[in-house]
Amino acid sequence: MEKILRKKSFPQWVKKLESYRIYAPTKNGDLWNYELINHSEDINLDYLNTVLSPKKIIFPQRETFLEFSTSNNGNPEIKEVLPEEDPSLVFGVRPCDAKALTLTDQVFGGDFDDLYYWRRRNQTVLVGLACPTPPSPNCFCLSVNGSPHSKEGLDILMSDLGDRYYVESLTEKGNKLLNLAKKLFEEPKAKDKKDLEKIQLASEKKIKRQIKETKKIPPKLKEMFDSPFWDEEAMSCIRCGICTYLCPTCHCFDISDEVLSSSPLEGKRVRTWDTCQFPDFTMHSSGHNPRPDKASRLRQRILHKFQYFVERYKNYQCTGCGRCISKCPVGIDIIEVLNKVRGYGT
Amino acid sequence: MVNLEDLKKEAKMLLEEGKVKYIIGYERSTNGLMSVPAFIKNPKNVERLVWDPSCIYNLTRFLVDEKRRKAREKKPDTRPVGIVVKGCDSRAVVVLLQEKFINREDVYILGVSCEGTGVVDEKKLAEKLKGKRPDKIEFDEKDNFIITSNNEKIKIPAQEILAERCLECRASFPVIYDELLGEKVERKSGEPFKSLEKIESLAKEDRWAFWKEQLDRCIRCYACRSVCPMCYCDECVVDTISFAVTADTAAEEKAQKIKWVEKSPDSSENFVYHLVRAIHLAGRCIDCGECERVCPLDIPIRFLNKKLEKEAKELFDYDVGFDPEKPSLVSSFKDEDPEDFIR
Repeated sequence: MEKILRKKSFPQWVKKLESYRIYAPTKNGDLWNYELINHSEDINLDYLNTVLSPKKIIFPQRETFLEFSTSNNGNPEIKEVLPEEDPSLVFGVRPCDAKALTLTDQVFGGDFDDLYYWRRRNQTVLVGLACPTPPSPNCFCLSVNGSPHSKEGLDILMSDLGDRYYVESLTEKGNKLLNLAKKLFEEPKAKDKKDLEKIQLASEKKIKRQIKETKKIPPKLKEMFDSPFWDEEAMSCIRCGICTYLCPTCHCFDISDEVLSSSPLEGKRVRTWDTCQFPDFTMHSSGHNPRPDKASRLRQRILHKFQYFVERYKNYQCTGCGRCISKCPVGIDIIEVLNKVRGYGT
Repeated sequence: MVNLEDLKKEAKMLLEEGKVKYIIGYERSTNGLMSVPAFIKNPKNVERLVWDPSCIYNLTRFLVDEKRRKAREKKPDTRPVGIVVKGCDSRAVVVLLQEKFINREDVYILGVSCEGTGVVDEKKLAEKLKGKRPDKIEFDEKDNFIITSNNEKIKIPAQEILAERCLECRASFPVIYDELLGEKVERKSGEPFKSLEKIESLAKEDRWAFWKEQLDRCIRCYACRSVCPMCYCDECVVDTISFAVTADTAAEEKAQKIKWVEKSPDSSENFVYHLVRAIHLAGRCIDCGECERVCPLDIPIRFLNKKLEKEAKELFDYDVGFDPEKPSLVSSFKDEDPEDFIR
């Protein structure tokens, strides 16, 4: 379904969606992040990109799996805690971040469905916003099978045409949102379609950064596991978790028991984000660590995204959002690393 | 003025003569104006070195890595590493020496003088440039930075884009060095704890509310800890697995390891993490501001450390990182030390 929405009608549309928990990019200081919105007028879609991707809504940094306690008669009690939230709606999702969720879907789906993930995923509607200009100077979606107006993973894609949005509904969930405010939407005219095409074409040309011949990288990486290249590249790495925590596709987690009271026993089993960049991520209980240094940890991040994931799911586990580049405390630049990999040893 | 060519020449000589293993300096980044850490082994690569007001990083953190790397090697190369340090960074070297974490012969210090200015805060600069991409940054000796963007020269008063810590700088040239590049220019020192005034003036409840709001944003990426040259503990209180664990550690011992801080990024755990870190840096933090610079969520972590720096000064008249011979604050005492906090 394709429609036109006047910008001035946007708040009215949001008002009709009150039954949803609405997340939208919100500015706090200099930073944009997805936050729950209380008033439709609080939504501002003039943002570039958020620090954390909408991953944090569907796969929160911490969630409770179960609660345990000792009952009065001394027997252990275990209660499963599944996410019980109203349907959510996220406005202003960048195409790269939506595509990232389709990749994580494969990890948390397939042979075994992760109930916790899918509860949130299935009840969240993603309303995307195409990027007429790159939200970050380090955007490179075109190099990893993406585009600034990609529809992958979205329920609706909105494109900014100046005074109006070109609204494409892509799923049943999306149609439902448009049907809640039918009167506000107009049928697109030939000029609207032409304008959309023009903007889309221009937006692709504005992306300056690129991985060259990305296809050649996965087979190349396969030969480089033991290469001294990783030692060189990781010299400046400080082993923090920024690149992976801000990454829209990284999904590693840890499960731990948080004991609130030991007598009577009361506690929770929780899942929290974890990252291959922390030294204790692969630490064995024997004290042996198979990834003992930062070179092996940087290698893991690159190989997971550009070799292992490609072998398993036929796609790069990177959508080119550029967060890991822009926010790396020491300027480690995945584009540069991969371009070096492609030409390494030749 | 610091002459970059002199720095390159010196670095080249050190490498060619084999006096140092490698040089830790600055080079141009691949994704913007700011320079990034460079590790130069081959004398031919000294051309990559840069020195300008974008050299904000405190490179002394890499001395911690170097020590660890050396400990893993069977036959370690015992030559020193060359390291480029600014005034503030040199004070971190002093603390590492005081604490005997490194030895003087482990480092060959290439001190660079900030010559009365300092380094640029990337966020402040970006705000001034409103989307323009800077290509070059220079200092004009008249308290201005000259930014070149797309062949256009933009003049910005230094005070407006200097890093916060530079506004409260206490050492604009290195306090310890083997070579000094540039002039020993005393900086017009501002009030060293000015930035704290606003928070200190708040009522207790408001301060609590302020920090709660700030620390609630923390995602525990530990970048603040990881970038800090003083956070060199082998085992950190927030890590879930002890690095003191070896093949001989008994299962019972492992099972009974106390978990001080949960992984959950909620208010209570975030407070524990940040306050433990702040207290552990008391009398050790030299205010390089790196923890705050790297925070992806813009948490003003520097205030916590600055406050403790002020406490050290006011209670014990202790200035951090000026004299490697002086004992560190927490490992020494004087008869006249205040003790009215003991009740």
